[in-house]
Amino acid sequence: MTDLIWIVPLLPFIGFLINGIGRNILGKPLIGIIGSGVVFVSFLLSCCLFSHVYDARQAGGDGAFTVPIFEWISAGKLSVGLSFMLDPLSSIMLLIVTGIGFLIHVYSIGYMSHDPGFGKFFSYLNLFIFFMLLLVLGSNYIVMFIGWEGVGLCSYLLIGFWYKNEAYAGAAKKAFVMNRIGDLGFLIAVFLIFTTFGSFEFSSIFPQAAGRVSGDGTLLLITLLLFVAATGKSAQIPLFTWLPDAMAGPTPVSALIHAATMVTAGIYMIARSNILFTLAPVTLQIVAGIGIATALLAAAIALTQNDIKKVLAYSTVSQLGYMFLGLGVGAFTGAFFHVLTHAFFKALLFLGAGSVIHAMSDEQDMRSMGGLKKKLPITYITMLIGTIAISGIPPLSGFFSKDEILAHAFVQNKVLWVLGFIGALFTAFYMFRMLFLTFFGEFRGSKEQAHHLHESPGSMTFPLIVLAILAAFGGLLNIPAALGGGEWLAHYLEPVFAASTAKTGEFHLEHGTEYALMAASGIAAIIMAIWAYGTYVSKKTVPVADGAERSLLSRLSYHKFYIDEIYDALIVRPLNKLSVFLYKVIDRAGIDGLVNGLGRTAEESGKGIRLLQSGNVGFYIFMMVVGVIALLVYGLIKI
Amino acid sequence: MSAIITLSLLAVLLLYLGLFKAKKALLPVSLLGLLAAIVLYSIQWDTDAEPLYSGMVLFDHFAVAFSILSLFITGLVFLLSRDYFDSISEHVAEYYALIIFSLTGALLVVSFHNLAMLFIGIEIMSVALYILVGIRKRDFSSNEAALKYFLMGAFSTGFLLFGITLIYGATGSFDLTEIKNYLIANPHSISPLFYSGILLLIIGLSFKVGAAPFHFWTPDVYEGAPILITTFMSTVVKTAAFAGFLRLFLTCFVPLQDFWAPVLLVITVLTLFIGNISALAQQSFKRMLAYSSISHAGYMLFGILSIGAASAGAIFVYSAAYSIASVVAFAVLILVKRSRGSEHFEAFNGLAAKNPYLAFTLSVAMLSLAGIPLTAGFVGKFMMFSGVLANYHIVLLLLAVLNAAMGIYYYFRVIVAMYFRPADREEVTVNANYKAVLFIGALLTIAIGIFPSLLAGWL
Amino acid sequence: MSVFYFVAFLSIFFALMTIFTKNAVHSVLYLVITFFTFTIHYILLNAQFLAVVNFIVYMGAIMVLFLFVLMLLNLNKDTEPLKSNLIKIIGVIAGLCLVVTIAGSLKLLETSNPVVLKDPGIGLVSNLGKVLFSEFLLPFEISSILLLTAMVGAVLLAKNETKKI
Repeated sequence: MTDLIWIVPLLPFIGFLINGIGRNILGKPLIGIIGSGVVFVSFLLSCCLFSHVYDARQAGGDGAFTVPIFEWISAGKLSVGLSFMLDPLSSIMLLIVTGIGFLIHVYSIGYMSHDPGFGKFFSYLNLFIFFMLLLVLGSNYIVMFIGWEGVGLCSYLLIGFWYKNEAYAGAAKKAFVMNRIGDLGFLIAVFLIFTTFGSFEFSSIFPQAAGRVSGDGTLLLITLLLFVAATGKSAQIPLFTWLPDAMAGPTPVSALIHAATMVTAGIYMIARSNILFTLAPVTLQIVAGIGIATALLAAAIALTQNDIKKVLAYSTVSQLGYMFLGLGVGAFTGAFFHVLTHAFFKALLFLGAGSVIHAMSDEQDMRSMGGLKKKLPITYITMLIGTIAISGIPPLSGFFSKDEILAHAFVQNKVLWVLGFIGALFTAFYMFRMLFLTFFGEFRGSKEQAHHLHESPGSMTFPLIVLAILAAFGGLLNIPAALGGGEWLAHYLEPVFAASTAKTGEFHLEHGTEYALMAASGIAAIIMAIWAYGTYVSKKTVPVADGAERSLLSRLSYHKFYIDEIYDALIVRPLNKLSVFLYKVIDRAGIDGLVNGLGRTAEESGKGIRLLQSGNVGFYIFMMVVGVIALLVYGLIKI
Repeated sequence: MSAIITLSLLAVLLLYLGLFKAKKALLPVSLLGLLAAIVLYSIQWDTDAEPLYSGMVLFDHFAVAFSILSLFITGLVFLLSRDYFDSISEHVAEYYALIIFSLTGALLVVSFHNLAMLFIGIEIMSVALYILVGIRKRDFSSNEAALKYFLMGAFSTGFLLFGITLIYGATGSFDLTEIKNYLIANPHSISPLFYSGILLLIIGLSFKVGAAPFHFWTPDVYEGAPILITTFMSTVVKTAAFAGFLRLFLTCFVPLQDFWAPVLLVITVLTLFIGNISALAQQSFKRMLAYSSISHAGYMLFGILSIGAASAGAIFVYSAAYSIASVVAFAVLILVKRSRGSEHFEAFNGLAAKNPYLAFTLSVAMLSLAGIPLTAGFVGKFMMFSGVLANYHIVLLLLAVLNAAMGIYYYFRVIVAMYFRPADREEVTVNANYKAVLFIGALLTIAIGIFPSLLAGWL
Repeated sequence: MSVFYFVAFLSIFFALMTIFTKNAVHSVLYLVITFFTFTIHYILLNAQFLAVVNFIVYMGAIMVLFLFVLMLLNLNKDTEPLKSNLIKIIGVIAGLCLVVTIAGSLKLLETSNPVVLKDPGIGLVSNLGKVLFSEFLLPFEISSILLLTAMVGAVLLAKNETKKI
């Protein structure tokens, strides 16, 4: 069974090739069928693989299988194989990627039906699934890195999909640069890992690492670098500003890449390397600190945004912050559980938002919406479920996963819990604000839009319904023991985190305290929902126009705490200046100006005299002579 | 050796063809000749190599592998030459002959076993290039490039020759084996002449491979020369020069690594940073490629810096990846320049919409140059970096990775221009030869990226 | 020994004169004298063949060619393009540095007795011929490619291009 694992990533890749080559020949329906079909078959295979692992776990094994595909690079003692690892963690990720991936492919058939780049879009999506599967399945850091780079590339291509809009191309570039900073950390970390452990394979690194003492300096460095990589990919402070801008891409892309799968790659990677992080407690504290700070900051920004996708984008950043908080406080299962439930409800919310945008003829501003409840009933109900889930109101999925993270935070550090709790309040408020502004009250858009309002086609509502069911019941996967649940997910994932658990000891919290925490967050979320109802439905408040006066806090939040502007002033502009300076002074003026004071280009002074004079050559040879002298002086000293 | 003789005769034959105005026959005959040479080399593969002709040349696996690579890349360049030389000049046969001569020099450089051969090889290679760079007689930048290249080339040759002389003075021989034996026999009483000789050889060879601070000729010459000649220079000539560099150091100077490694380390770091930082600000695609070729020289110097059994393989894979990608990049540049008359990044705007095939192959080439996984460039960089790691130069590795990141930025600019910048433009016409080269280039880049053992197994 | 130092002094002196003279023709003439001093060096080193070749080819053929070209181009006026003092100073400093370092490097070397040759017959024509046609046969033959290349190149550069670009 596991021998066939290579088919899972291969299928989307074949889809990419077919759709990429035949995008102008094949018709739209055929492209749609091929595009989603390959992912669906991958999904079916993933289900088989999952049941295989599941059986192995039931039988008491650790459920981990390594499947070498072929030797990739072999030079000296260095050998890197393309090999896949199937274990409880990757089996679940497989299901998320192919399952939600499939739904979003189906949704895209409807959503992109009028777009001229239909074939291109599907080929990119298939390519993304391929790389994401590589990332998830890789049994060593190199394969993971290949996937890591690949998904970044696809994300870049898809954000800039509608590149004719200048701002969108800018967003793509920003995403690219920020991701590169992260990737840099990843690459250096991988090489450091190799020098330290002499291998890239997980199965060889982790047992070796487990033998080290906690607080090891090398491990600290490695984990910090890995975390830098994670902040890039998973949009954490300071590299988070690309994600809201990435909403420039088509909505299915936002749902698939920028909510459900790619952005959780950072969490997956840390969860995979959990033993390294457990042995670097300093890094864990930083992870928790950055996580909670991001969660709060992004939630605060989301409070005042008026673009429906921007709200969801900041909410994603904020939820990712919670996942990092979970990792930081050692709740690896909780963080991963949140990845799972978040994939359900955030994909649902994005697709719902896409359905709204589709109905509103590409209007994204919530101030022009309102009262869509009747026109878009399915979208409304599914989004309501999603909103309740993300707000953490029991018994929907978000409640359980968020609660588990907060419970761990409570045990670790009360301050973290309080901050997390405040973030949860924000979450409930801005999500219901979005829901009420969109679906309740009077319609505020133009007549034309009102006329055009319609429920989306079946290919778009079907994924919504499936995701809504998952978002509603996903929480059942890991009902805490305090509520009489079996903690199925935790048991299933046990072998993955076993080494870390052995170091930190079992997590323990009184049932009484746990009940109190659950009640507090559940009730608080409901209160925030009611408050939002009071503000936006009963009082019919509509957010003020862009230019209007705002209070200081509101202004800060609305302008995203001016973070883009700060980055621009601190980093972008100085870099630009340096680059222009180098270009002007070193490449142009310096060489020529110093020598003959003439412009360099032949067009400017393309006269015969230049050939005789050939001023540059003098300068070049002078520089070479300087080099020669330096070398000879070295020789004099050394001999 | 028969391959080198074949090539020399081929060049003479081409000159005769030019005399009898058989222009149509030039390209097929040259390609057949190259093919024959490749076959002759492949036959030599299995034999136990011994130095030939009183130890002048040695056709071991190293020499044969690099020779076949050079011949193959030259073949690609020739395929691109259809219509190209015709538009520049009427003495087409002479240009083919000169390129073949230069290639012969390159083959001698990769297979030398005696410093005299190294010198003659480098001279044959360079003299032909001095002329080729100045092909466009009425173009000032081409003339200027030729003159600059000649002046500075002569200057650096002086150092090379001086270095060889000093080594001879110390050891009494030009033969690589004897030089090595001298080092082994007198580990503690090596003549100071020898040290100075090594330094001067480093200077001379650094010039040939375009490493800082002896790189100044590269951007100007690459920019001024006709694109096809630039392609030849930045691929075949550079590869051969590196192979020669490595062969000399690998066979002879390993015992003195402590002495020369720091020098080379400084040169490497300088080369990397100068190449990459200057490339960042370029507006011309051609000049950007020139600076990027400097930075690639920096990466390849890693192979010499971390000298050992693995470095030959690493440099081989790296130069193959880099050469193939460069040929593709320059081929597209020729086409774009022909249709738009400009070498700037803007000239590539919107290429993807009209010529998706062209844009795709160029993207593959750029990804490979940038070292993105699943392309040949990544494998090359990976092998280089792991070689550095094996010697525990962590700081060097950090610098290299930082530079690789910088590189990605400027390589992506052209991809961005092609895919994300709308522009009104006409479709670029691509003839069959170009299509073939682009196809082979892109295919090999990806194939090596996925199955590196195809190449890495050679050495 | 003193002959050597005297000739060496002359070489350097005339080489400097070659550079410093502003008149191109004078410069070439100084170069001829410089080459002549080289010939004397070769004789001192017992390298007769080199001495003769240097005398005939370099001094005779090449330098005369140089002179012809200069005269044909009518360059015997003072046409040195203006260069700023900065460049001159930089050039002088760089050159001196180079001299000093090379001299320093050489000073470190053990100096074997320069006048006593290990094999007095090494520079004789017959010995040179033997070496060239036995041990160094391959480089000798391969040099023909180099010469051919240079010839083709020279013809190519000199030929008139009838085609407009």
